[in-house]
Formats: sequence, structure tokens, C-alpha cells
Amino acid sequence: MKKLLTTTAALAVLTIMAGGVYAADGKATPGKSIDMVLLPKFLGIAVFDQAHTGAAEAQKELQNPKEVQFLGPTPENSVAGQIEIVTNATTQNVGAIMISNNSGDQIVPAAKAAHDKGIKVVTWDSPIPTAEGEDVFVAQVDFNQTGQVMADMALSILPDGGEFAILSASPDAANQNAWIKAMEEALKDPKYGKLTQVDLVYGNDQSETSYSQALALVDKHPDLKLIMAPTTVGIAAAAKAMQDEKLCDKVKISGLGLPAEMVSYTMNGCAPQFALWSFVDLGYLSYYTAYMLAAGDLEAKEGAKFTAGRMGDYEITKDPTREKGLRILMGPFSVYDKSNVEAAAK
Amino acid sequence: MTAAVQGRLMSWEGLLLAILVVIVAVNIGYSPYYLGVENIVNLFQLSIEKIIVALIMTLIIISGEIDLSVASIMGLAACVMAWMFQIGVPLPLGILAAIAIGALCGAFNGFWVAYVGLPSLAVTLAGLIGFRGAARILLEDRAIGGYPAWFNGLGQQPIFGPLTFSIIVFAVLLIVVGITLHGSALGRYIYVMGNGVEAARYSGVNVKRVKLLLFAASGAVSAIAGLLYAARLGSVRGDMAFGFELDIITIVLLGGVSIFGGSGSLLGVGLSIFLILNLRNGMGLANITGNTQTSVIGALLILSVLVPNIVQLTLKRLKGRET
Repeated sequence: MKKLLTTTAALAVLTIMAGGVYAADGKATPGKSIDMVLLPKFLGIAVFDQAHTGAAEAQKELQNPKEVQFLGPTPENSVAGQIEIVTNATTQNVGAIMISNNSGDQIVPAAKAAHDKGIKVVTWDSPIPTAEGEDVFVAQVDFNQTGQVMADMALSILPDGGEFAILSASPDAANQNAWIKAMEEALKDPKYGKLTQVDLVYGNDQSETSYSQALALVDKHPDLKLIMAPTTVGIAAAAKAMQDEKLCDKVKISGLGLPAEMVSYTMNGCAPQFALWSFVDLGYLSYYTAYMLAAGDLEAKEGAKFTAGRMGDYEITKDPTREKGLRILMGPFSVYDKSNVEAAAK
Repeated sequence: MTAAVQGRLMSWEGLLLAILVVIVAVNIGYSPYYLGVENIVNLFQLSIEKIIVALIMTLIIISGEIDLSVASIMGLAACVMAWMFQIGVPLPLGILAAIAIGALCGAFNGFWVAYVGLPSLAVTLAGLIGFRGAARILLEDRAIGGYPAWFNGLGQQPIFGPLTFSIIVFAVLLIVVGITLHGSALGRYIYVMGNGVEAARYSGVNVKRVKLLLFAASGAVSAIAGLLYAARLGSVRGDMAFGFELDIITIVLLGGVSIFGGSGSLLGVGLSIFLILNLRNGMGLANITGNTQTSVIGALLILSVLVPNIVQLTLKRLKGRET
């Protein structure tokens, strides 16, 4: 009996040490069977499908026999739907949930319940604002940098200055809200002095709503020269609205867009410049993070380092845009214009 | 109520029960987590606000009317509470004000329907748009959260065994509506009114007052449901509960309540609630996504309207042949 105890204790120590070693060198242990859910803001958006492609790639690479579950609500039911999916995933006791949060802090009770049960909660694309119930946020780019990039694009499109308006996604989208705030911050620099923000409207990431909101902006502000849309749905809808109404000479469109959706608008001058990062990579990195957390290869704490397959080395740091949050920063930005958009759209 | 109608109702509830048993059996077979206490509580919890309003909607539809404004009243009540909380009014006061405004909105609907004689479809459609507009004006595009823990707890915290406050509200309301509909004079009036306002008037029912009361109650209950939703989410915004009226009416119609009024039972609605919640939960646990879930429930509603009519037509034809 005593021997057994000693052996057990020794084994336990070994296990802990082994765990410690793993955590220190941050390599993933492939082949573990872990149920994982990838939850987009809602279904039917191209960039979220790309994230799913990236996550599926990582799953194959890590040889997880359980296929990644790509589950999303319908756009009309996004908030309640996300809560329902997180709750059901918690009931099923999955290993990890990866959330692109569209519910502000309304998701917190559901995320907390999952977290309390030992499920790893990784947010990607859009974090939980208070970070409650969340292990770590995989940020596509630095949120302050997004604001800077948008301010720079605005200035390069309107070198002589003028009025511009912002067309965002939903009022509860934490990512867009943070980018807009960062842009407003960046615009305080005197070199942007001639740019004036006149409005901020929401198209709820639905094409028809964004389309009519863009036209409404033009009606409301006769001197409007630019619509900045930090959402792939909004920017494409706004560009189409300006093209349909033959307003492209007067009002330009910019923001965050998918090359494949924006190529024609960039070539015909409606949207001379826009930016984005790779959503495939974002899905891939989120999957690696969530898998390694669930497999015990990685701990969600400041300073933890790990290797995410083909994408290389990353570190968990404090999130400068959220008081209590932890973040993994992906990056970088690509800015698209006539010179490179056709190649990227392929 | 004729024996034939009663027979049809009985068989409708029988059919619901049979479908329910199949769904439950499939769920048990499919997911080992289905029967857990946690899952059963969640199953109610995730739709609790809708099923609370479905109870009062049952009374409205049996009385021959409809209330399309319930979800907008839910949103407006929550926004009123959030707005008052934000400007510094003590939360309990804000809650009372929100419920009072819900009742007023309902009474406003009821006034036009009962005393002016406008169709409830039009009046409450206007309410659906108007009350939602008011909610959006109050909060604009903001989301207001940060309520005290006791308030959020009302929507989330188990207080009686595993049961949350909102589930207890549902249970109490279920009993109240059951007694009202099937055991009181008011319940008989509601059925008589649904079968024809003229008949009700001749049999001495104060139709106007009953209608006003029903709509006011619908407003108050919707407001309470909206507040519980706010407590569950911990945050309020203008588009809260948007589109819920359709799910709520679906539950009631699937329960065998006639859209023309005059027939239906709380038992049927209760079974329908169980059926839809279990179906949704089963599909959720089977990782079936939102779009498919909506289609399945839509198909179920079409069937619920078609099947009784087809059965009735067939019975008529058969009878015609006999004579």
C-alpha cells in the first residue's frame, strides 16, 4: 500500500513536471480527442467561413479525430442564438468553445458557466468586453493600429480633408466599437485636422440595412466625401450603393473589406483603398490556441509562449484595450488598392 | 362546445403528446446529456420569456383577438427600466414603472379594440412598430448593463433547488391562467367571446371590459417577461426581444388554439411548449444550426394549421357520402 502511494505520488510529480515542461516550451501534443465548437457572430458571412477553413486545417494538422463544429445563429437571432449555442455546448461538456462575440457582455453568464465547468473559452475576432468567462482573446490585429490604419486611409483618400461618416456593424460588436474609438483617438493628431466625422450609423452587418444606411448618410450630409465602414458586410454594401446611384465621384468608400468582394469597386474607383487581415489564419490560430489550452499544453496566463504550427511563435499578453483581458496578437494588416487587389482577390 | 369539436381537440392534444414522446425518445437516444437536470433547466431557461408570454397570448387568441405588440412591449419595458436605472432612479422603482408602462401599452391597445371597435390585428401591429420605436428612441444605439447582482440573479440564479426565479414565475402564471380559463366565469366569457361577440353580448358578458382587461394583462405580463429577459442577459438594448411575437404565436397555434378564437385549451398550449422546447434543445444538442432549426419549426406550424383543416374536410366528405 505504501509503495503504491509512493509510486502514485512520484507519478503525480512526474506528470506535473511533464506538464510544466510542456507549458514552458509551448508545443502542441497532437492526436488528442477534443470536442471543439467554432461560433461565428452568425452564419452566411464569407469571412467566418474562411475562419472555419483555417480551423479545419489546424484540426487536421493536430490530428484531432473530432471534427470542429461550426455552429452559428441566424442574423436576426444573433444574441440569444449565441447564448443558446454556448449553453448547449456547455451541457455537452465540450473541450473548448471559440467565440466571435456579437452579444457584448450579454454572453457573460453563459461563458462563465462554460468556464466554471472547465471548458476553455477562447474569443476571436470580437472579444467579451469585460473579459469575464473568457480565457484569452485571439486578436486579428492591434485594435489601436486598426484605428490608425483607418485614419491613414481616410487621409490618403481625402488629402484636402472633408466630411466623413462611419457605417459600423451592430452597436454591441466589441471589435468595431474598439476600432472606431481608436480611430477617433488617432484623428486627434493635427495632421488629420481637416477630416471631420459627421455621423456614426449601424447596418447590423446585414447587406440591405447597410445599403440603405449608406444612402441615408449621403442624403443627410450633402457635403459627405467618404464613408468608412469597419465591417466587410458594410463596406461592400456601401460601395454597391454608391455605384448603383452613380455617386462614386462624390463619395468614396473605405474601411475593412474582403479583396474578393471589393475588387470591382476598387478597380472602378468607388473604394480606392481598404484593409484586412487573413481570416483563414485567424481561424487557424484560434484553433491552435483553444486546442492547446484544452489539451493542457498551454496555460492562459500572461507571458505564456507557444508555437502555432505554420504561423510560428506567439505570446499571451495583457490586452491593452481591455482592463482585465488577455490577448494573443496575430497581425499584420494588408492595405489594398488598385495595385494589389486583383492578385489578392484570386 | 359540440362533441365533434371536443373530439378534434382531444385528438389534437393526443397527436401533440405522441410527437412529444417521439422527440423525447430520440433526444434520449441521441444525447447522453439530454436528461441531466442542468439541461432540463436550461431547456426552459433559454426560452422562458417566450413561454411566459405564450400563456397570456393563449387567452387573447381564444377570445378571438391577437396581440402582435408583445415583443415590442417586452423591449420597451426593459428599455424604460434601463433608462431609469441609468439616470439614477432606484432599480425597484424602475421595475415597477416598467411593468406599469407595459400595462398601459396593453390598455392602450385594448381601448382601441374594445371601445372603438378597431381590429386587433391592425391596432397591435401599430403597437408593434410604435412601442419598438419608443424603445429605440429611449436607448438609441446604446447597450445598458451593470445592474446589481440581485437583479441579474433573477434571470440566472437558481433560487429553489435548480429552479430560477423566471421558471417559478412561469409555473405560477401557468396555474393562474389554467384556473382563469378552465375554472372561472371569466374563462367561460373568453370562450363565448371567441365564438362570436354578438352571442357574448346577448349572454350578458361585458365584452368591452373583458377585452380591455385581457390586453392590459397581456401588456403587464409582456413587461415582466421583458424584465426577466434583461435580467438573464444582464444588459438591455433597443432591439431586445425583436421578432419574438412570431415564436410566441407559433407556440399557441401549435397548441391547437384556433386563430379564429373560441377553441383551444391550456393543456394543448402546455404540450406545445414542451414539444417546441424539446425539439429546439434536441436540435441544439445535435449541433443543428439556427437556419435549419427555424425551418423545422416553420414546417411544424404549417402542419399545425393544415392537418386539423384537412382532417375536418375529410370527415365532412365521408359524412356526406354516408347520407
